[in-house]
Amino acid sequence: MTAGFSWAMVALGIGVVVFRRRSVAVGLVTTQALLLALEALRDASSARDAAAALALGARGVALAVFFWLLVHRTRETRPVRAGTEPLARGGAAVALALVLVWLIPDLGLDSAAAERSALTLVALGLVTAATRRATVFQVLGIVLVENGLAVAALALPGSSSLAIEIGITVDLLLIAVVAGVFHERIFAEFGAGDSAALGSLRG
Amino acid sequence: MANREWLAVAVLATPAAGVVLSALVPQRALARVAMVTAIAAGSVSATLATVALADPGSPQLGRWIVVDAAGGLLVGVIGIVGLASTLVSPPVLGHGHGSLFRPLRAERVYWVTLFAFWTVLLAVPLAANLGAAWLAIEATTAASALLVGFSGRARALEAGWKYLILTSLGLGVALLGILVLTAAAGGGGLETLTWRSLPHATLDPDVTLVAYVLLLAGLAAKIGWAPVHNWLPDAHSEAPAPVSALLSAALLPAVLLVAWRSQQALAPTIGAHTAGSVLVAFGLVSLAVAVPFLWRSQAWKRLLAYSSLEHMGVIALGIGFGGPLALAGVTVHIVGHAIAKALGFYAATPLLGHEPRASGHAVGGIGRTQPALGASLGISLGALAGLPPSPLFVSEVLIVAGGFQAGRPWAAGAAAILLALGFLGLAHALIDTVIGKPRRRDRDAAPGLRAVTALTAVAVAALLALTVAALWLPGSGIVDGLLRGLA
Repeated sequence: MTAGFSWAMVALGIGVVVFRRRSVAVGLVTTQALLLALEALRDASSARDAAAALALGARGVALAVFFWLLVHRTRETRPVRAGTEPLARGGAAVALALVLVWLIPDLGLDSAAAERSALTLVALGLVTAATRRATVFQVLGIVLVENGLAVAALALPGSSSLAIEIGITVDLLLIAVVAGVFHERIFAEFGAGDSAALGSLRG
Repeated sequence: MANREWLAVAVLATPAAGVVLSALVPQRALARVAMVTAIAAGSVSATLATVALADPGSPQLGRWIVVDAAGGLLVGVIGIVGLASTLVSPPVLGHGHGSLFRPLRAERVYWVTLFAFWTVLLAVPLAANLGAAWLAIEATTAASALLVGFSGRARALEAGWKYLILTSLGLGVALLGILVLTAAAGGGGLETLTWRSLPHATLDPDVTLVAYVLLLAGLAAKIGWAPVHNWLPDAHSEAPAPVSALLSAALLPAVLLVAWRSQQALAPTIGAHTAGSVLVAFGLVSLAVAVPFLWRSQAWKRLLAYSSLEHMGVIALGIGFGGPLALAGVTVHIVGHAIAKALGFYAATPLLGHEPRASGHAVGGIGRTQPALGASLGISLGALAGLPPSPLFVSEVLIVAGGFQAGRPWAAGAAAILLALGFLGLAHALIDTVIGKPRRRDRDAAPGLRAVTALTAVAVAALLALTVAALWLPGSGIVDGLLRGLA
């Protein structure tokens, strides 16, 4: 895995943290997923590796179609305001990434760049889910975390289990579909996919 | 495959058949087919549990499936709670309120999702490796989130959403731990992560400790251990009562079993004391966070939810202490908590019919206005509080004694104090709920009360039998089997 690929993944992830529009963020996450599939295919040395790469590609395409449909079906008059400003979100994400990289010792992945990029993507995903109010962005946070874990899985020494990788792909798609059901119902109930509207119920 | 493995496949196949049948049969036959399938699934699970516990010294460990004493115990609990939840579901579905799904489809979606949740839940204790166990746990999230938000009420949407996002993120962190562990083992596929191979793997202790902490921190979000328990009170309050029972009595301990297996598998590398200390810390923090909420006046299901936080903390302490006394306590606690907590949630359906304000407020004097319902609530709360002769009294004594036996007097002492405080809080709630000042004068029939009364009689017999068994358990073959684990 090249350093350029690792840092391209991080740059796309930072875009998800700071950009305002859902459609842009969906595009960035989809690009990440397709880059992952291409990198996996480039590194594939057996039919099993190629099948795992195809599973990653299928996941990327399925998620892209799913999110596009979701955004299309729940058009908002204007983007949901995030509780935190973009600069603060980006700062929090970078700070958490640095803490994770500092705290976690050498993991034994193929390259140091892959390790840092995996941990940074996990941090970006956690910060996205914690600081964005829009429900679609919270799900994209989970996808970012999973993309970070996919980077780590690609950089594992030796071969990984195809069954587990396909299982993780199916699980992520299931979670996304269930989140989609909730998002549509929340949109129908409140007129916006805004998780802050849910919190206000307790007031 | 050996006989036990075939039995384990049957355990998974029976509720899976329930998914298919619920999707296909005509609407009018839905409930009946669900009952028959549930009786079959509960019976097969109970059979596997009996077989596994009758011969705890020789666990069956394949590539994908494990059948051992701990797994058998959990399969039995999940099977019985799943069966009881199915039996008490019709009154919940029959109340005619709205749903997350279209009215014509709602009942069918409920049964399909309930059986899907039950199936993946049974897969958790039967999974022979960490990767497969993680997959099963993640799959429980997708199915159960739909059930949590099933009523479609705004608060249920909030609870379901919070549950979905927080537990998915937590499981992402747990997966990071699994990847770190795989890297530490030098890569490889499923074989690296089996419960049998992990204790013998050559791993770097520092990296393994990081993996273990990440894994437990991630699983904690699903188990509901403090401080990552925020979804738990809302989800337990808003889910339909039979689902709340499955979440609390079956899901939480099933995921806890994976934490337990991880501790046993990684202890040879990071040290048994260190591995236990992480669990003891989660246990004490959960107890400390739960106790103030047990002292407050709470809505019935919310009170039960905070009691889940307390009891998952107690089980974590028992596993962390290790040793024969503590593990005997853990065994009794898992079963006793499941019986008492499930009964409490089942009683919520007639309670809400009798006193609709109970969904958001504490209730009082139910024993005066509805004696049978008051008895169900009282027995559940009394058992959960650890009021003798509750088996949870015996299990808590065993766990605290196990802490002293394990050379952790400070943790055991702190646990004893927190348990006493928790007992006082629940005892106060018990008095208020059952014989306190009633807030409602009329005595309307409560929906589903007959089924709950019958289940109460069964629960009382089971709790008393468990108390007797608890006195015999320390030093038995079952505890020996639990101590040995799968190594």
